[in-house]
Amino acid sequence: MREKRTVTRRKFLQVAGAGAAAVAFPNILISCGQSGGTSTSTSSAKAKPATLSLFISKDTAHPQQQAQLMDMIKAQFEKENPGSSFTYDTYASAAEETTKLETAAAAQEGPDIFEFGSTLVPTAYATGAFEVFTDDMWNHIGGKKIFFQPQLTMSGPSPNKLIAVPVSGNPFALVYNKAMFQTAGISSPPKTWSDFVNVAKEMTNGKDQWGTSMAPADGFDPWHKIWLFVTQMGGQLMDSTGKKGLLDSKESVEACGFWLDWMAKYKIASTQNATFKGADEVRAFATGKIGMLVMTGPGGTVTWNNSPVAGQYDFGLGPTVPYGMTSLPPKGKPAQGFVSGQYYTLFKYSKNPELALNLLKVVVSPDIQYQYFKLRAQQPVVLDTFTKYPDAKQGPWAALYDAELKAYPTPFFGSWGQLEVEIGKAINKMASQIGVSGSYSMDDLKAALTQVNRELEASIQ
Amino acid sequence: MRDHPTVVESRGLPRTAGYPAAARRRRRAAIRAPYSLMAPSVALLAVIVFLPMVVALYISLTGLNQYTIGDWVHAPFVGLKHYLDGLNPQGALAGSFYTSIKASVVFSGLTTLFILPISVGAALLFNGRLRGRVLFRAIVLLPYIIPTFVNGILWRLVFMNGSGVADQLLAALHLGSRQTFWLIGARSLWALIFADVWASWPFLYLMALAALQTIPADVYDAATIDGATAVRAFRHVTLPLMAPTLGLGIALSTINHFNNFALPYVMFGPTPPDQVNVLPLNIYVNSFITFNFGLGAALSVVALVIMLTPAVLYLRAARVGDAP
Repeated sequence: MREKRTVTRRKFLQVAGAGAAAVAFPNILISCGQSGGTSTSTSSAKAKPATLSLFISKDTAHPQQQAQLMDMIKAQFEKENPGSSFTYDTYASAAEETTKLETAAAAQEGPDIFEFGSTLVPTAYATGAFEVFTDDMWNHIGGKKIFFQPQLTMSGPSPNKLIAVPVSGNPFALVYNKAMFQTAGISSPPKTWSDFVNVAKEMTNGKDQWGTSMAPADGFDPWHKIWLFVTQMGGQLMDSTGKKGLLDSKESVEACGFWLDWMAKYKIASTQNATFKGADEVRAFATGKIGMLVMTGPGGTVTWNNSPVAGQYDFGLGPTVPYGMTSLPPKGKPAQGFVSGQYYTLFKYSKNPELALNLLKVVVSPDIQYQYFKLRAQQPVVLDTFTKYPDAKQGPWAALYDAELKAYPTPFFGSWGQLEVEIGKAINKMASQIGVSGSYSMDDLKAALTQVNRELEASIQ
Repeated sequence: MRDHPTVVESRGLPRTAGYPAAARRRRRAAIRAPYSLMAPSVALLAVIVFLPMVVALYISLTGLNQYTIGDWVHAPFVGLKHYLDGLNPQGALAGSFYTSIKASVVFSGLTTLFILPISVGAALLFNGRLRGRVLFRAIVLLPYIIPTFVNGILWRLVFMNGSGVADQLLAALHLGSRQTFWLIGARSLWALIFADVWASWPFLYLMALAALQTIPADVYDAATIDGATAVRAFRHVTLPLMAPTLGLGIALSTINHFNNFALPYVMFGPTPPDQVNVLPLNIYVNSFITFNFGLGAALSVVALVIMLTPAVLYLRAARVGDAP
């Protein structure tokens, strides 16, 4: 009996030790493994039936419609691929999006297909965890030529290194309150930023009605606007190497100052905006007390169509000439916004790459693309969709279609995410000053931009 | 069923006569027994606690970022670069790091300071005879069981300028403007402290209540016989007897506040005002938003060292682990 107890204990300890080691080292073992990614050199091979997994962005404005759209995609996919199906998981914030990307890249394990916003595609490319599409792969889903060409500029660093398939667009344009324009005697959206300020002043009463609104506390709005102004001035936020920040350049300082002056100097936006995030801005416009929102996507239309501004707003092209100028400066670009939208990428370690391509083929079919427009108010990215369904570029969508043609890509740097955060820090700090005291000093702004530029460069070295 | 008769048993180890080899085996087995029993726990602790710490230490010495995360084991070795970037006062990232340390120390210290009298007061109140005591005891735990992110959303709404309850209330009482900013600028610290005090005071309250319930009634009887007033009894009987438990509670509470990530993140987002840019938030932004995992890991190691200070001080003061 004694011997039996000893053996049992030893066995127990052996099992416990092995179990602990197994728990401790899977990542290391995975990392040391040399299996690499699954080759997808040819897409013509017949895909084996399987269930794919997707990790996609949650459409918080249209959750039911998104579920409806995914059901339609699934029905079509299952019909074309008997025995196969897919499941999907959603993320509702940029933090979830990046965390999942990081985890999957480190563990070399994750969903077959990831959906990313355009500005995260460079980071995804930098991880090396996603398939670079070959010509065969593009041909399998219809070829590169079927897409709205500006969207492909954010699919990869060069035409032969594309990792992301555009699935929907998010064009930026100016949205304005037609009733407020009419009351103020304004006939059309302004073409220059000087006009914009003047027009906004006409619609501002300084109490409960404002010419415009801004969201300096948002995670994205600060860099969106600063990028726009700097691009129109002919400047850049980072040099061509992607290693040197230009957040303290003359253009950057002027751009930030101009935007902050909407609250501090021109008084065309309420100082209450100092704590605004994007959703606050959308809600503010819905009250019918805001004249214009610049560089705005179609995402707010659901809220606005069920609010006092229903039927009273329209989209138009925004100003492109910098404040105080009458025409674009020599290197200035008439940007309406940057190339923005959602992209599907194929995870390098997917066990079902051919099947994943079959799914992508369904998603970029004109009929499904049209449903992105009808159900979720997103712009299709496949050209045939506009031919087959002309309403996708008519009415308010005409201006958005034009705006997308005038969109410029942001630099394809893996470090772009750092830049977004650093601009947000500086703007947030200055907006707080304005919120509390009503003003800010240009010296403080320069100091803040110099500091965040130093931090940016230190973090990307 | 013993194989051999035990002659003497001393210090729990059997000593046997004859068959010395077998006796040695049994003696060794007896010595090994406690270690064998501890081994699974030690192994699990190693996996759950020590292995991540070793990995974090390793990552802090590498240039792990978005370019190398796919093969993180082979991320380039950069030595102490991240520590120097963060700690060197002239470094580009030092300003943000020291600001965060200051924010965390001020936030955790003040929060604990405010919580302490509230918790002890409530414990004294609910330890006495009170109608509906069970119900009240349950109600005061509510803030503690609400998920932190829900608390964060709730308090963000309360402190929204203009429309928030805080501004409405202050304006109604003529104590402040309806347009007071609580989520930006210097007041953000008070908003965060208020929210955290509300959410976490039941922890220290429970510790205080537990300590109170271990004090025997005859100690108070003796004090009363000696003519002690209620205040003197509290000062010279209750407080000293509560002190060890309260000390532990204060140390744990301070550490919890220092490490609080969810509440400031939900209330202020990834680019908070300096006053509430606490260290966990700074580490999160560096690691997961800007993909600078090496720097984030180095800051985590520094935070660990900082947090060891109150823990070690408490353990030394309480002589935890010493033989009675």
